[in-house]
Amino acid sequence: MKTTIVAVLLLSLMVCTATTYGGVPVPDDHVVQLPVRNDPTISFRIWFKVGSQNDPKGKEGLADITASMLTEAATKSNSYEKVLDRLFPLAAGYSATTSVEMTVITGRVHRDNLKEYLPLFTDAILRPAFRQDDLDRIKSQAASYLENTLRHSSDEELGKAVLYAEVFAGTPYSHITAGLVESVRSITLNDIEEFYRGHYTRDNVVIGIGGGYEADVLRRIREELGALPAGTPAPVPASVPKALEGFHVAIVEKDAPATAISMGFPIDVLRGAKDWYALAIANSWLGEHRNSSSHLYQVIREERGLNYGDYSYIENFPRGGMMTKPPQNVSRRQQIFEVWIRPVPNETRHFALRAALREVKRLIDEGMSEAEFSQTRSFLRKYVLHYAPTTMERLGYALDDQFYGINGSHLEIFRTMMDRLTLADVNAAIRKHLQYGKMQIAMVTKDANSMKQSLVSDAPSPITYRTPKSSRTLDLDTLISVFPLKIRPENVKVLQVKDLFVR
Amino acid sequence: MRSRVGKVCLIVTLTGCIAMAQSIFPYPYEKETLPNGLRVIMIPMESPGLVAYYSIVRTGSRDEVEQGRSGFAHFFEHMMFRGTKKYPASVYDSVITSIGASANAYTTDDYTAYHLTFAKEDLATVIEMESDRFQNLSYEKPAFQTEAGAVYGEYRKNSTSPFALLNEKVQDLAYDVHTYKHTTMGFEADIKEMPEGFEYSKSFFQRFYRPDNVVLVIAGDIDPKATLALIGRAYGSWEKGYRAPQVSPEPPQTRERFGEVSYKGKTLPILTIGYKGDGFDPGNRDYVAAVLFGELAFGETSDLCKKLYIKEQKVEILQANIPMNRDMPLFEIVAMVKKEEDLEEVREEIYKTITEFQSTPVSLERLTDLRRRQKYRFLMSLDAPNRVAGGVARFVALTGGIDVLEDVYAAFDRVSAQDVINAARKYFVPERRTVVILKGARQ
Repeated sequence: MKTTIVAVLLLSLMVCTATTYGGVPVPDDHVVQLPVRNDPTISFRIWFKVGSQNDPKGKEGLADITASMLTEAATKSNSYEKVLDRLFPLAAGYSATTSVEMTVITGRVHRDNLKEYLPLFTDAILRPAFRQDDLDRIKSQAASYLENTLRHSSDEELGKAVLYAEVFAGTPYSHITAGLVESVRSITLNDIEEFYRGHYTRDNVVIGIGGGYEADVLRRIREELGALPAGTPAPVPASVPKALEGFHVAIVEKDAPATAISMGFPIDVLRGAKDWYALAIANSWLGEHRNSSSHLYQVIREERGLNYGDYSYIENFPRGGMMTKPPQNVSRRQQIFEVWIRPVPNETRHFALRAALREVKRLIDEGMSEAEFSQTRSFLRKYVLHYAPTTMERLGYALDDQFYGINGSHLEIFRTMMDRLTLADVNAAIRKHLQYGKMQIAMVTKDANSMKQSLVSDAPSPITYRTPKSSRTLDLDTLISVFPLKIRPENVKVLQVKDLFVR
Repeated sequence: MRSRVGKVCLIVTLTGCIAMAQSIFPYPYEKETLPNGLRVIMIPMESPGLVAYYSIVRTGSRDEVEQGRSGFAHFFEHMMFRGTKKYPASVYDSVITSIGASANAYTTDDYTAYHLTFAKEDLATVIEMESDRFQNLSYEKPAFQTEAGAVYGEYRKNSTSPFALLNEKVQDLAYDVHTYKHTTMGFEADIKEMPEGFEYSKSFFQRFYRPDNVVLVIAGDIDPKATLALIGRAYGSWEKGYRAPQVSPEPPQTRERFGEVSYKGKTLPILTIGYKGDGFDPGNRDYVAAVLFGELAFGETSDLCKKLYIKEQKVEILQANIPMNRDMPLFEIVAMVKKEEDLEEVREEIYKTITEFQSTPVSLERLTDLRRRQKYRFLMSLDAPNRVAGGVARFVALTGGIDVLEDVYAAFDRVSAQDVINAARKYFVPERRTVVILKGARQ
């Protein structure tokens, strides 16, 4: 058996030295390597610097659909059925994720199957067939996601989509990557081909490779992708949201059993900057994602049992309901501070909103205490280890480091900064980057007009429980139930769900 | 905890070291059973200083036999975070937070898992905290009732999904007496009444949270000998006393059942066809062949999927789910259909496919490809301690260990074309069938 393996290896080396794979290799500074000798798998992340911000007006969704036309459709060599047949025994596949600024084609394979896998993987990127039947299928899925799934089956995702649409209205960040119902319908093969030609170029690609790969594999993929045409797409100016004055509220009318709430405002700080890590401490204390250490979680869920969880963010976190740790390769030049209140009973919606805003205000006005600071940074120092336990995830972070121009590793800097930052640094960052009172709020709820009336009149929102509560909780409830929000009627709009994501 | 150490005499030896020369499972592991019945499986593996720690309670919503108590196993999972006298909830949270552990839990039909991932130097702390709450859980009525509100919130969060509604209907219709009649979340009426179940919750803990009903799986950067010594001291005085509930067996189904359900929002129609199957048993050739049949007949490379999903584009989703369960789960085929008028045709196509598989042998090439796929899919899933421990959790819950993995993959290798025919003939017949169609509101 051993002899056979050696013979096969020798053969492949001989073949490889004699073969070239197409173009001038993709240059060094467009390659991110993460070798892990004992990893029996090889991970690929092929990053094209394009995203939904590049969607032409009226063709929203084009970047996402183009990426799907590479990874969920035929190539010039194989029908889609044939692609699936070939991948099937390898238990390997590839897929694309599109965010506002990044499109990444991800693939992973066991090294035993690499030889059969690699030609399929590169074929998908280099030689898509762009067939009408594939486009029809992919467009139909995108439209169904917008018309059915997003509008109806997850009010939490709906609330977040409305929040981002409102904050970034009028900018290339305003629409979700899936696009809009009418624009998706209008996308043609010509649109796809033109978009592919313009953005899937050798100057616009970064190759990410990780795991137990040999040098020849890297050489091969660099040469193969080097055959992409040259060209640098025109840069898209950063999406700068308009300044908010006061609270703005978008209420989506829906016959919903509970109310989903999201809110936020733009912040001017990105990972890599010292202030980002300082804010990360404050944010983790206020609302670490899917973690009971979150202060909002303690106030709204643990103490009062109003919902399933309450979190906050300083970076976009799509599909938060599905994931417990931050995703990779959704980097963007403009972030918002965001609060996510999972669905609460409709009768407590006003109270829950007040409770959350009151805690945000307290953090901004009072800053963190020494004890809170100390415990949170101790938590984060180790908790970030869980952000990327696998090669594929670490490779994702390495690409994001390149996006943000971070010299070194964000995750390592994160841990180092937990030792360096002081309470004064954190509270200074809170004062500089967070502010209370200029915020967009999105709510998905029943009887939107009655919600509007309650909000603009600052009507008291007392809460009652089926179960006994401590006097401390009840005293705080009294304060929360009349906590003034001072929302102006002209800043509240009611939206119908059927009108969302149309054009 | 320290006071307990001197009182407990434990004889624990590492008798279970398994050499894994030709095994499917790529990591050598060690296993032990403490005198009180607690099983411990340790899987040392290369990882950047991380350890995953799973406490698997072999109780799930299947064990909710009492009337009005559906969903209680899941609710109780929440209560396990409410602290002990020694470490009240706020202290437990504070310790877990201070070590930066990633901690959570989930409940299924057949088991409940509590899991933490953390830095290896915190192993002793985690063992101390986990052993304490499993033995000494203590909470007051108000905390219990507040948590019931969070559980209802979880139900509401899920309830906007058409699949949640569909699953409720399918299980309710397919089963008459077995507890698979309800979902793991439970019937909504029972969830509403959970705040009244304080006393019941105490008995739930006493009956099910016992060492002889729990398996620990610890994977990652660990020294098994030292780990076992810590576990022996921490869990040794936990008294055995698991009392298995009497789950009523489901009588054989005699004829097809059909139901419809209406979803308030807008959705493409969804067709679910479930067949009463068998419980997990790698020694049951029919069961093992049925697992492969699901992929062969309805997987993404099946003829039917290519026809309905890629060529004719009549479905948005087509898949089969042949689950691993303790009793007799439903072997399900699910199709999300693009147009309501195609529902019947899709249903007939599914039946036609089953009929073909009941008489036409699958090619050896397809079977070989599928076996290879099963093997590599498993191997590729084991890329971090949390994924290893989480990946074996259901096998552990069903059999008490992970040796069965070898039996499962060996059984896959033995499946013949005739076995697939036999499985199709045995399970996928009208008298075992429950069909439910979900339609959305027209908007």
